[in-house]
Amino acid sequence: MIRLQGVTKRYKGADRDAVHSLDLEVRPGEIFGFLGPNGAGKTTTIKMIVGLLRPDRGKVLINGHDLEQDPIAAKHSMGFVPDKPDLYPRLTCLEYLNLIGDVYGVDAQTRKKRLDYYLNMFQLTEAAGDLIQSFSRGMQQKVALTGALLHAPALFILDEPMVGLDPKSSHQFKEIMREHVKQGNTVFFSTHVLEVAEQLCHRVGIINQGELIACGTMDELRSQAGHEGSSLERLFLELTDEGGSDEK
Amino acid sequence: MRNRVWSLYLALLNVNYGWSAARYYYIKKRQRIWEPIVIGASLAPAAGFAVWLSWLMTEQLYLGGLAFGQPHLPLVAGTLAIAVLSLFFGFFYVLSAFYFSNDLPVLLPLPLRSGEILLAKLGVVLTGQYVLNAFVLLPMGIRYGMLSGGGLGYIISAIVSFLVLPLISLVIAGVLTVLLMRFVNLSRYKDQLTWIGGIGLLVLVFGFTFWLQNSVGTDDPLVLMEQLMTRADGLVKEVGNIFPPSVWAAQAMAYTPKAEGWLNLLYMLLAGAVSLGALYLLGEKVFLQGVLAGLEGTRGGARRKKAGRELEVRGAFWTLVSTERKLFVRDPNFALNGLVGYVLVPVMALLPAFGKNLGDNPFDMLALDQLDPLLVIGGVALFFLVMSGLSLIPSTTFSREGRYLWIMRSLPLSLGQIIGSRVAASQIINTVGCVLGTLPIAYFAGWGPLEVLLGALLGIPLAAAAALLLTLLDLSRPMLDWVNPIRAVKSNFNAIIGAFGTFGLAFLLGALFYFNGKTGTLWLIPLELLLAAALLAGLAQYLTRRWAPKLWARL
Repeated sequence: MIRLQGVTKRYKGADRDAVHSLDLEVRPGEIFGFLGPNGAGKTTTIKMIVGLLRPDRGKVLINGHDLEQDPIAAKHSMGFVPDKPDLYPRLTCLEYLNLIGDVYGVDAQTRKKRLDYYLNMFQLTEAAGDLIQSFSRGMQQKVALTGALLHAPALFILDEPMVGLDPKSSHQFKEIMREHVKQGNTVFFSTHVLEVAEQLCHRVGIINQGELIACGTMDELRSQAGHEGSSLERLFLELTDEGGSDEK
Repeated sequence: MRNRVWSLYLALLNVNYGWSAARYYYIKKRQRIWEPIVIGASLAPAAGFAVWLSWLMTEQLYLGGLAFGQPHLPLVAGTLAIAVLSLFFGFFYVLSAFYFSNDLPVLLPLPLRSGEILLAKLGVVLTGQYVLNAFVLLPMGIRYGMLSGGGLGYIISAIVSFLVLPLISLVIAGVLTVLLMRFVNLSRYKDQLTWIGGIGLLVLVFGFTFWLQNSVGTDDPLVLMEQLMTRADGLVKEVGNIFPPSVWAAQAMAYTPKAEGWLNLLYMLLAGAVSLGALYLLGEKVFLQGVLAGLEGTRGGARRKKAGRELEVRGAFWTLVSTERKLFVRDPNFALNGLVGYVLVPVMALLPAFGKNLGDNPFDMLALDQLDPLLVIGGVALFFLVMSGLSLIPSTTFSREGRYLWIMRSLPLSLGQIIGSRVAASQIINTVGCVLGTLPIAYFAGWGPLEVLLGALLGIPLAAAAALLLTLLDLSRPMLDWVNPIRAVKSNFNAIIGAFGTFGLAFLLGALFYFNGKTGTLWLIPLELLLAAALLAGLAQYLTRRWAPKLWARL
């Protein structure tokens, strides 16, 4: 569903690559967790996958479409929720969702059905006619999630999706992710909450200083690190060397 | 340790004018060094012209006034102009800085009094106003000082006047804004009320100018000037009745080091201090309530009731057009600045009708019996062209999105849809605005519907082609990192290029029409308009194909 081939990005004036020669494949029907310390290159990678940044080198393929050559077809396959959902503050929730629905070509009947479902689930039905600027961060996050799910994308990409969600919404959202992949779709998300990744993900990738240092199922990561039965947190700390000083 | 208000002022000034960002990019990273050079080179002619004009007018008014025993005429005219302009333009800046900045959620939790936030923000607006005023007041002050042989007293009073006079105007704008928003933000219909308040102020300022004319009994500016200068009380008294601080400033400069001059300087200083204190107290009492109510946003029963009916399905292009229009019109910072021209034209056209002498209607010279119908058609078409740039809609279309641009960039939209929808939205607003603006003039000048219709039909493609070029201009260098949304439209170099560019083109075409008139080839006007539209559209199409994808990818 996602294939990154030698993707590299260096910001202007930086002395090292933010993402260096990244090769990654995310398969259809899996929840893939993308982990890494702050500044590791997670958001840069996600921005390149969704077309918000252009790689200096390498290729991004989404559902078989080259993002550079055929960006519209590639983007049609995905729904994206950024880490900070800056939505048009002067549109109402429903106006924003209608915009997204129109752009993705979601027909009226399907749109109504899905909006009813998600707005009800996220308890936004009552506030649907209100301006987004009146919403809390959590509510804005829910609007962004609804917008990203409205066209039932084959690939659902999220940057730190749990931030700002209340426990109930967070639980519902995890269920949505599971349900989404059950229907043969794919979820790719970055997170700092390792428990969430451990609970949800079929596979995880760990990026550090712009390079993918580990990728696989939990069992594969454990055997790679030589620690059978270790928690993801311990593996993460060892692989990214953040717990190194404690260990020594 | 610095005073916290001073520290806040410096920080806001830095953010507002991007000093640190400029240092970072231009000096540390050595990137985009061409930008300040190009901007400086582009603005230098306009600044030079303003300085030259102010210098020359001061000289002429001084010599003219001397003949009537009123040599301080340039001081009165200059200080009044600055006071009114500061009040007029300052209102929009103050409104935006006080109530619509993105930094309010950051500032409000800090241990700062709301009056302190207000003062720091006012300081930032005031600093910008000083820079603008300097191009008019400095040459005026220097030239007047040279002609009148002003000494140290004159220099002191000139400096104090320069500093205090705009402050008083901006404080008045601030007080009006705080009071307006105190009620507007607590209302469910805040956007609509902000609009009404803003337009009300515009009408007020023009009404004020109109009243000034009528109070001396004529609509003819030459007669008005003569009456003002030859009457015993003269312009000073007339202006003093309306806005005393500008007279205090003028008299302080004219009469120091005499006691009368120092007394006027004292009046002005006291007025500045009192008005500043009043704004601070008002800020302490009601500013916070208004801001907090504003941050809550609109939650309306009416909108909720309508919500069920808002589920409309449209094609991507038309939903983009509709979104662009909504986002522009709903933000008072964008709408009030962009649509001001469409309001001013009919207001300027209508005001003389309410004057003492209907027969002196200046629009008489535009009447069909004075003007060839083909010139009317050309004029209407040029109005469409000029307003397309002056509305700021196409020239700031990407800049206005700021940090929300990620939405469009992550959606499956072709660049043609994105650019085309923006041009279409701008032209829908422009067409409606221009038609509404033209109708009152047509009514007073006696233009027929055919002239207006043909002018509009020829003006629309010309304005649309210009809008496409301006959209590309904004795509090439959008201002996306704004905190205060008004910066996206008023401090945006693209907006200035757009306004001057369309004015320049209209001027050239107007000169061509004049030439047509002289050579008896007025029948060429429609063809010239179509040719200009075709050339602009061809250039815009070429640039779109050649550069737009690269520019879009670079964002």
